[in-house]
Amino acid sequence: MLKKYSTYAGKRSPMKNENSKIMTAKDAISEFVHDGDQLVIGNYTVGSCAELIYEVIRQGKKDFTLYSQSGIFDVEVLVGAGCVNRLITTYVLRAGGRKGGSAVERALNAGTLEIEDYTNFDYNARLVAGMHGFTFIQVLEGVMATDLFRKRSFMGEDKFRVIKCPYTGKDLLTVPAANPDVCIVHVQRADKSGNAQYWGALGSVAAAALASKRIVVSCEEIVEHDVIRSSPHLTIIPAYRVSAVVEIPWGAHPTEVLGHYNIDFFMYGLFVMADGTADGLKAWMDEWIYGCENRAAYIDRYIHRFGSGILDGIKAKAFYSAPANYGSAFTTRWDREGRERNMGLTMEELEKTLRERGKLYD
Amino acid sequence: MTKPYTLQELLVIAVAKEIRDHENIILGVGLPTTAGALAKTLYAPHATLMMESGIIDFEPLLPLNHIADAHSCRGFSYATDLFSAFTMTYRGFVDVCFLGVGQIDKYGNVNTTAIGDYYKPTMRLPGSGGAADFLSYAKRTVLTMLGGNFVNKLDYMTSPGYLDGGDSRDKSGLFPKGSGPAMLLTTKGVFRFDPETKEIYLAQIHPRVSIDDVKKDVPWDLKIAPNLSETPHPTDEEIDFIRRFAPAMSAGRELSLELTINNMMKKAKPT
Repeated sequence: MLKKYSTYAGKRSPMKNENSKIMTAKDAISEFVHDGDQLVIGNYTVGSCAELIYEVIRQGKKDFTLYSQSGIFDVEVLVGAGCVNRLITTYVLRAGGRKGGSAVERALNAGTLEIEDYTNFDYNARLVAGMHGFTFIQVLEGVMATDLFRKRSFMGEDKFRVIKCPYTGKDLLTVPAANPDVCIVHVQRADKSGNAQYWGALGSVAAAALASKRIVVSCEEIVEHDVIRSSPHLTIIPAYRVSAVVEIPWGAHPTEVLGHYNIDFFMYGLFVMADGTADGLKAWMDEWIYGCENRAAYIDRYIHRFGSGILDGIKAKAFYSAPANYGSAFTTRWDREGRERNMGLTMEELEKTLRERGKLYD
Repeated sequence: MTKPYTLQELLVIAVAKEIRDHENIILGVGLPTTAGALAKTLYAPHATLMMESGIIDFEPLLPLNHIADAHSCRGFSYATDLFSAFTMTYRGFVDVCFLGVGQIDKYGNVNTTAIGDYYKPTMRLPGSGGAADFLSYAKRTVLTMLGGNFVNKLDYMTSPGYLDGGDSRDKSGLFPKGSGPAMLLTTKGVFRFDPETKEIYLAQIHPRVSIDDVKKDVPWDLKIAPNLSETPHPTDEEIDFIRRFAPAMSAGRELSLELTINNMMKKAKPT
């Protein structure tokens, strides 16, 4: 039973089905991500939607207000590529400690980027409020004593507001809901209509996606709908919310995807070393982002440059979750002898009874 | 010549026809489940059927026993929670929901809580359950009233219809524009709401029912659609589906219960 799942890899469903949202990364980004959007990176720390981000960069999309819970790899390349005007985050990367630098730091100093800093909880709370359709949400009031509360950038008064609790009279801290225009997110698997399944560190992934107006999902593999149907507890985004589904094996590399591959410290290291200077980052992006038209080309280049040993070494060995039993006693009202399970009648007998009792109308 | 049908079958079909393809539907127990299953099979194959307990995108194989009945399907696509099922409705992602009615007034306001004095009720009904929130925020609501009554004034207002009629619902600022009850189904006909006044009127009448039969249930001068139609005879396909999917629904509650008890008594073997 468990083994069967792996055989779904790569077996995509026919694309002509009218409910199929399967697209290439190129088409999905072109259609659903627009200049000036509020763009949220759905993934948090792990499993970054690297290839969708690269495609955004390759298409030269710009003027984003970017949301990222942990603005590390994803934010660095998007800011480094000049796609971002405003950043809302809780944590940014600094390459190489004191000596290093970062695209965010350079952009702040050049005056091309504004940043709004929140705590992890506050940032996530904004998306949770947005996901549920609330206009604001209560957060933890401790930050009122800090510069997180006092120092404000482009959000000004609306970064935080304080209200009186109507029940206790206490001062409560609130943040406004966030409903980004579009979320790009990478998951383990999805079906062609967009049911997206993700497991591991849940972080704020579901809230980021569900709060957004449009959702572009990339996944390691497209699976049959039956796989989804037998494991609905793993679905974090239901199909009816999804705009596009893109199958991208190695789609989060060099970050990691549980059950598929670990973080690639080698490529990540090359990136971090490059990220310390604008020229270094540009050269790295020229080779690995602008120089590869899609993820297949990126992986080809990687193997051409470094061989396949590193990638083989980070491929996940299986450790399957025990299947949950979604079965019930029966799935039709009629038993094997063709009798209705409660009334004990065959269809013919039931119809005869309905006739005798005057229940049938011609 | 088409097959003979039962009244329950006629009612299920009338409700099922309110579901359009690609819509998101919240189903309640009883008649709506069967209607949802029928619609998904025959008219709206891409509808997403949901239950407020958080079971999303299921294909019913059996009539639901309750709104958390994962036994009625073979898997589903998305397991979420009740809170999220309601907030997805609040955000406008639910096209149609179905609610039963105890009392209804001229403007589609609904009582499902108590008949008589709320504190010392003549009849205590179930209460709101999901009703007040669904009728508030679903784009359209389909009401079914099989045992209830039309009244001039509700004994208790559980769920908001068109409030005082006219634009009062939209003007209240509490509800999505254009939302509210879309139709009411009774054993005698299908009622709809005037687009301007929001007053309920008879739009469709079931076979063998006269306008006077309908009017005698209504304590005001009920308006009748100038183009009043008759509920069409079900097709064989519709009848066959309902009878196989939910034979007890076809038979009606009383008869199916009687037949079930008789059958179970025969089968029961005391040890």
